Amino acid sequence: MHWEGACYFHDMSLDWKRFVLILATGAGAGLLWNAASGRGFAIGRSVLAQAGDELVTAADAKVLLGRGALFLDARPRDFWKMSRIPGSLPLPEEDFERGLAVVEARLRRASAIVVYCSGYGCEASHVVARKLRERGFPAAILDEGLPAWQDAAGPMDSEPRP
Amino acid sequence: MNGLLRGPRFHLLLRLLLGGFFVYASLDKIWSPAAFARIVYAWQVAGPVPSNLAAVTLPWIELLAGLLLLGGVWKREAALTVALLLVVFLAAASSVLARGIDVENCGCFSVAQAEAPSAWPPAWTKGVGGFLVARNLVLLGAASVLAFFSPSRPRGAPRGAEARPSRESEALPS
Repeated sequence: MHWEGACYFHDMSLDWKRFVLILATGAGAGLLWNAASGRGFAIGRSVLAQAGDELVTAADAKVLLGRGALFLDARPRDFWKMSRIPGSLPLPEEDFERGLAVVEARLRRASAIVVYCSGYGCEASHVVARKLRERGFPAAILDEGLPAWQDAAGPMDSEPRP
Repeated sequence: MNGLLRGPRFHLLLRLLLGGFFVYASLDKIWSPAAFARIVYAWQVAGPVPSNLAAVTLPWIELLAGLLLLGGVWKREAALTVALLLVVFLAAASSVLARGIDVENCGCFSVAQAEAPSAWPPAWTKGVGGFLVARNLVLLGAASVLAFFSPSRPRGAPRGAEARPSRESEALPS
């Protein structure tokens, strides 16, 4: 039994080994649960990616753009109006059917299709690309979206559109 | 003030509240790791793979530290763990707010992607904003009291006990 009167800052009686053990045990339990519970997911890649998704890196996407691939912007239309990958067309996730009707003729002529949105946390490009695939258009997804594109010095068109 | 911070009942109350809070906060995230990972992505702090690791490990650290606080085992170290988590959450929230990112569900308790706008609790308690920062600062204060201020002797304990040497090693037989 001990009734300590001092602030722990002064007596330094915190046990750092216990502290590290709590962190390590918690992290280990989490990894184990993820691996063995059946409720986990693959840690090594984006949780948004599904079987059947085709991802292209920003570097590969730049090559495709140079070859005339069609780029589609899955963000809300106002973002596309502000800035976009040059030559891209808007096909917002929340306005897919209407947007598809506008771009469908271009899709049929495209040698390759790349869908992008605002980053690794953005699911819109995945959703739009899957919907396009369901309709027979082989659309790829720009991996980690516009931030990765800009990191790879991909060009942007920032002229406002009506 | 120092007396209040060292009150045994005050410590017990803080411990049960903080422990219960963190155990409750961990459960939905543990049950749905992938859904929680999506929410961590929305914070846009660390890229997909580090976000995955955080989504898988942090809820279990919350659960363990919360259970230890509730059970009164390794109290100070568990409180320090909670304090560390809160510092990490506050740093991440500051980054989110500084960059003007809109995170509708902070993932603090629930991993639900979309809820009716009228649902209780109101939206401003769920997103990353001033309420979350204020709440985490209060929780950080509570965790710091538990980690860094030892409780004084409860009523009925031997007189003069407070003056005893405070190092645990000295209180134990060698």
